[in-house]
Amino acid sequence: MHSPKGWLPKLLIAVVVAYLSILILLPIAAILQGAFARGVETFLNALSEPQVIAAFRLSVTLALVAVVVNAVFGTIIAWVMVRQDFWGKGFFNALIDLPFVVSPVITGYMVVLLFGRQGWFAPFVEATGLKVAFALPGMLLVTIFVSLPFTIREVMPVLREIGTEPEQAAHTLGAGGWRTFLRVTLPGIRWGLLYGISLTLARALGEFGGVLVAGGGISGQTETATLFIFAALDERQYIAAYAVAIVLAVVSFVVLIGMEILRQRSQVTQ
Amino acid sequence: MSIVLQDLVKHIGAHTVVDHVSLEVHDGELLVLLGPSGSGKSTILRIIAGLIPADQGRVWLHGRDVTDLSPQQRNTGFVFQNYSLFRHMTVADNIEFGLASRHVPKAQRTAKREELLALVGLAGLGGRYPKQLSGGQQQRVAVARALAFEPSVLLLDEPFGALDVKIRAQLRQALKEIQQRIRVTTILVTHDQEEAFELADRIGVIDRGKLLEVGPPTALYRSPQQEFVATFLGGANLLAGQAKAGRVNLGSMELSNAASYTTVDPEGRLEVLFRPEDLMLATQREELTIPVLGQGVIEEVLFLGTLQRLRLRLQPLPDTWHLPPEFGETGVPIQIARIPRSDGHLDFQVGQQVWVGIHNFHILPRIPMRLAIGLDEHTNAEVLLNYSALLARITNGPLTVIAVAEDRADAAQLSKYARDNLMAHTGEVNYHIRAGRSPEELVRDLKQGAYDLLVLAEPRKIAPRAETNLRELVRRSPLPVLIVKGEHASIRRILFCTAGGEPGKRDIIFGGRIARRAGAATTLLYVDAATVRAARPWITNHLEEGALTLRNQGIQVGVKERHGVIIEEILQEIQQGEHDLVVIGRHLETAQTRFAQTDLASEILQRAECPVLIVTGDLNRLG
Repeated sequence: MHSPKGWLPKLLIAVVVAYLSILILLPIAAILQGAFARGVETFLNALSEPQVIAAFRLSVTLALVAVVVNAVFGTIIAWVMVRQDFWGKGFFNALIDLPFVVSPVITGYMVVLLFGRQGWFAPFVEATGLKVAFALPGMLLVTIFVSLPFTIREVMPVLREIGTEPEQAAHTLGAGGWRTFLRVTLPGIRWGLLYGISLTLARALGEFGGVLVAGGGISGQTETATLFIFAALDERQYIAAYAVAIVLAVVSFVVLIGMEILRQRSQVTQ
Repeated sequence: MSIVLQDLVKHIGAHTVVDHVSLEVHDGELLVLLGPSGSGKSTILRIIAGLIPADQGRVWLHGRDVTDLSPQQRNTGFVFQNYSLFRHMTVADNIEFGLASRHVPKAQRTAKREELLALVGLAGLGGRYPKQLSGGQQQRVAVARALAFEPSVLLLDEPFGALDVKIRAQLRQALKEIQQRIRVTTILVTHDQEEAFELADRIGVIDRGKLLEVGPPTALYRSPQQEFVATFLGGANLLAGQAKAGRVNLGSMELSNAASYTTVDPEGRLEVLFRPEDLMLATQREELTIPVLGQGVIEEVLFLGTLQRLRLRLQPLPDTWHLPPEFGETGVPIQIARIPRSDGHLDFQVGQQVWVGIHNFHILPRIPMRLAIGLDEHTNAEVLLNYSALLARITNGPLTVIAVAEDRADAAQLSKYARDNLMAHTGEVNYHIRAGRSPEELVRDLKQGAYDLLVLAEPRKIAPRAETNLRELVRRSPLPVLIVKGEHASIRRILFCTAGGEPGKRDIIFGGRIARRAGAATTLLYVDAATVRAARPWITNHLEEGALTLRNQGIQVGVKERHGVIIEEILQEIQQGEHDLVVIGRHLETAQTRFAQTDLASEILQRAECPVLIVTGDLNRLG
């Protein structure tokens, strides 16, 4: 005979498994089924279409630039926010979270408003010939904007927690500012920074609304992987849509696993 | 001289964290800076290491003025309270960090690292990460890291603070040995007096940013010069006694060789320190072959292993009182430490009557009361300066005249006037010249210095501006304020106003301090404003406690009740009782401001014809 305590946990486990299966595994299975419905060769052919390759290249470019820019500036901003005091710090600190609450579509629209034909910077765009709206620079701006908070929000608490004493210790041991940053501060925040970077990468790869509005989704030019999926579905090219979706899902999955490993490592060494 | 600190001053916000600290540490010496938390000792250490700049003063290390050098250039080894080891580096890399910063070749670094690991007893653990070590081991790595590059001095900030008691004792011994072996000049900061006694060649006691005394542990323990040092180092019984006709009496005990008591002040009062172990107990007076202090009742017996601690209360002793004064208690509380005999013979019980004898005692120099004199262009300077000189004579303390005017030249003029006026005063006088708005500059000065009382005077002639300044100062002063009114050449009768409520502890204790030194008689006045007369036992009780507090200090006290309009009754009492100083507490002020346009304090201030003492702010120590 089982005590009531015996079957209740089992019931809960069953509920959790069913819930996660329906919500996560089922859609993945559906996508996999769709992608491989006509065999592996069709799947690979779909991925080697020039249009698809261009979309991936654009997505990766956007994501990598966003990661590099946000890692560098994010670390600087986090350091300033934690270590320095200045007038209006609270305001700027709140401003960092703005990308979380503003819809990416609005962000994209802001780029168009600023750099479009009627925009504030229209004279600048005309004078230099540098196209921003409906082109790569505009999409870059949107991607950097939407993924801005991640690095900052991951690095700030770590910086706060390690405090200034390790840096002061390095100073008394004769290390200058740069050596202290490279050998003490940076290693101290590295797991937080890497975690922030992976979140930035995932967010940048998955961006849809903002890049659609700012870039226009012109096939082969301003069409990212996510935009391609949307267009392909619209045109009933299911195999191509599912194939690209699979690749994005795999990348996200790898990032997810990576993040989990980083999180565990950071718990061990900090 | 390895370390020389000259007149260091550091302010953080309005606080003076380090207050004119000068210190010399000899080559190879281990000096312990001992003080309560927040006393500024860690700040001094950080100033020496260059981690924070001093506002004033200079630091020399081995004859080199390093005041303007960066921490990297100072070559000091620093051990932080939580060690601040680099957690992502191995123990070996941590220890080599200082050498690598100095571009020492790898082979030399390795050799030095191994030598240090052996020195701190961690040989073979170089490959570990800090996280894999115990707290005690981490602390030793921190010491090794700080010593690796052969620093000119070693600075340790509460290095044992994070460890448990047993490991602490072991590591103390280990640190002492290492320090003696390599003879590096060391300053260690701690709040733990046991640690200080065990490690120090000399101890420097710090309180509120001031370095009070420096000396070998035994000298500081046996013959401290100041009350704080006496009470902070170990258990202390401190009694104030009275010298009469060349002899000093403490209870029934007579300190006969009065000639050696050079510290007796003109009024014949002195403070006597005896340690808990300086006392001996007996059930019969005849059993004591040493001078007898008196008889008392045991209130508490604590068993502490080797030692037994007893607290007992002596019957009130004539012309003798306990320091710091207790509020509302009679008798003299005494701490005693003794080694109980293992056969249980002569064990004492709570409630038992015993006789107390003294083996040993030490007489402290008088603690002065430090007076700040606020002088601006509206002040009736002559009245203020005369009264201040009187107060300084009574309280035996230094005067600081703070002259404030919008224009620096005017302030200097005021200061010069004060100097001419105080020519005849024999005590110590300092002069501060400050340009700016009077209340602001005065309050700033007050927060920076260790004063006990601010003395002001009524304006020369009636000017609205001067009135508001005065009121603002009374409100903002962090210290008790005494406002001088009219010419008074003595303080004989002091009135404590308790109208509308209970007497504050602070005003009674602080006012009592002046009364005791002036030898003045005091009156506790209670004015009942209620039209219906009713018994208020809590007020009577509290008045009695207040009176007792004063009486315990050898002050003559009377208690008086009046009925009617508070302000009128107070003014009448001042006149009728011929009081020459009125003491009021802040509680009067706040209670009244809600209902009246002018508060009671300012009304008394306006209408009374004698000086008024308003007791506000923090009174940390009273003596």
